[in-house]
Amino acid sequence: MPVADLLIGGILLGGVYALMACGLNLIFGVMRVINFAHGDILAISALSTVSIAVGLKLPFWVAIVFVPIGCAAFGALIQVLILRRIEGAPMIMSLLATYALSTILVNVAILIWGGGYSGLPGVLSGSIRIIGVNVSLSRLVSFVCAIGVSLAVWWMLEYTRFGRAVRSVSAAPELASISGIAIERVRLATFALGTAMAGFAGVLVAPAFAIDPQLGSRFIIKAFAVIIVGGMGSYPGAILAALLLGVVEVVGSYFAGAVIGSAFLFLLMLAVLLVRPRGLLGAGVRA
Amino acid sequence: MKGINPLAIIGVAAIVAIVLPFVGSDYAISFSIQLLIFLVLAASWNWIGGYAGYTHFGQVGFFGIGAYVGSLLNFHYGMPWYLAAIIAALAGAAVAIPLGGAMLRLKGPFFAIGMFGLARVLEAFALGFDSITGGGTGIYLKPVSDLRPLYWAVAGVAMIMVLLTWRLDNSRLGLKLLAIREDESAAESLGLPTTRLKIGTFVASAIAPAAMGSIYAVYLGFIDPPTAFAPNMELTTIAMVLLGGMGTVLGPLVGAIVLSVVNEVLWASYPQIYLACVGVIVLLAVLFMPRGIVSLGMKKGWFRIGRPQFRRLAARKEQAAA
Repeated sequence: MPVADLLIGGILLGGVYALMACGLNLIFGVMRVINFAHGDILAISALSTVSIAVGLKLPFWVAIVFVPIGCAAFGALIQVLILRRIEGAPMIMSLLATYALSTILVNVAILIWGGGYSGLPGVLSGSIRIIGVNVSLSRLVSFVCAIGVSLAVWWMLEYTRFGRAVRSVSAAPELASISGIAIERVRLATFALGTAMAGFAGVLVAPAFAIDPQLGSRFIIKAFAVIIVGGMGSYPGAILAALLLGVVEVVGSYFAGAVIGSAFLFLLMLAVLLVRPRGLLGAGVRA
Repeated sequence: MKGINPLAIIGVAAIVAIVLPFVGSDYAISFSIQLLIFLVLAASWNWIGGYAGYTHFGQVGFFGIGAYVGSLLNFHYGMPWYLAAIIAALAGAAVAIPLGGAMLRLKGPFFAIGMFGLARVLEAFALGFDSITGGGTGIYLKPVSDLRPLYWAVAGVAMIMVLLTWRLDNSRLGLKLLAIREDESAAESLGLPTTRLKIGTFVASAIAPAAMGSIYAVYLGFIDPPTAFAPNMELTTIAMVLLGGMGTVLGPLVGAIVLSVVNEVLWASYPQIYLACVGVIVLLAVLFMPRGIVSLGMKKGWFRIGRPQFRRLAARKEQAAA
């Protein structure tokens, strides 16, 4: 009995990780920037969602529409004000910049929302039965939306003109530029899209999890583990690894307690690093 | 060659550090212990992050390991704090050797985030194994009545770290690490044992932070997982090295002094936004002064440039022209 429970719980958890890791991966592929603030954008989106639904008493769909848009605008702002200025610098600089940004966002969030937990108990409550397992409706909806958006973005990358531009910039920026692709515009759009994905993940997290301003740092390290296990820059790898790690976390928590359970992710990550540093589906990394 | 000799600055700092416990108030000593702990952390991080170019966000992991090893020895076996600190340092090295072998396969940002994740795992373990570590309740140590012995120990380690960095800067080993930082495959193709050098530097940079963790626990008289593995400790350390100048002898010293004073002022007047302010400082340093105060000083001729540094500058066109 618990096997099916654990598997479904893990896969549902993995959906949100997938959406988050895909955004992170997309940004990394195109800009060679690891966005440390990705998790904090998710946390702030989740907190904003609570404020919109509980504080302003607006319907949930308002948050679904406007929070990702706000995040995209914020992402574009970061790209223009900070990341564009340090493009040629060593990677360390962008890493430090986003790490600093993450600290700023966490502390601003604590100033605004306080350090405590909040949630959205009224939205999408209740549960339904799938193959004999009770599944919470909010987790199911967030999983379906998260995987849906991840797959939609993947489709866009593979089959649209913009997607091809994104892929060529991430594969060979110089050649893309020579071929007439406006690299700067692609980078701006990619970063905005990536942060919007983090924002959407935040909206989905709000009804399903207890959220606080520190949520971001807990999620970002899991997204990092997902990306390393799945293979840096590999989109299908990230989705696969997200589901795998979701299951590992839930099974680990069941047997060893919640705190140690989430540490299992990292033991898996370390194992992957030792045995196959490029990840499950990664093709190696152009530094 | 005009300007101030770096050794003169180190000398003045040493004299101030020696005189301080005889004239300073308890507050001044307490503040200086914090400053010196950060100086040691910054100098250690500078070896692996500044010289070898392997920036990472996991040093606080070793700090936390040291804090727990030292506190547990002190708490359960009544071991004096200086012995506990030495054993904590050894524990830090013992953990760093296999860890370096695994993590240093990663490059650039992957190494940085891998180490960040590792520090969080260690924090999770410290919380989870509450039968040993006391979990979230933490461990309370016997308070020390006089901070001066702690001060001498920390000041001694800080002095050694700065002198070792100076020695490193003037040695072939330092040049080898810089070669790894600038172009690892080129360094390897010239026959440098890059893996050994990296792991060696990584281990060396883990020893002193572990000892500092143990001493910090005694200084506070208390340790719990969020204190031992505090991400803001990491950010402050890195901010100090970045602000002072990565890969320079004086960088950590200058950065630690400047940022400790700024932190103390901010902490006293705006405790709520102090961490956000540190973030803003790092961000501004990245955007406008990525080479740090010391490099800026060398360019403007405030500091005398040592022979090895000068040779290195000559090899770099953009800097030699400035």
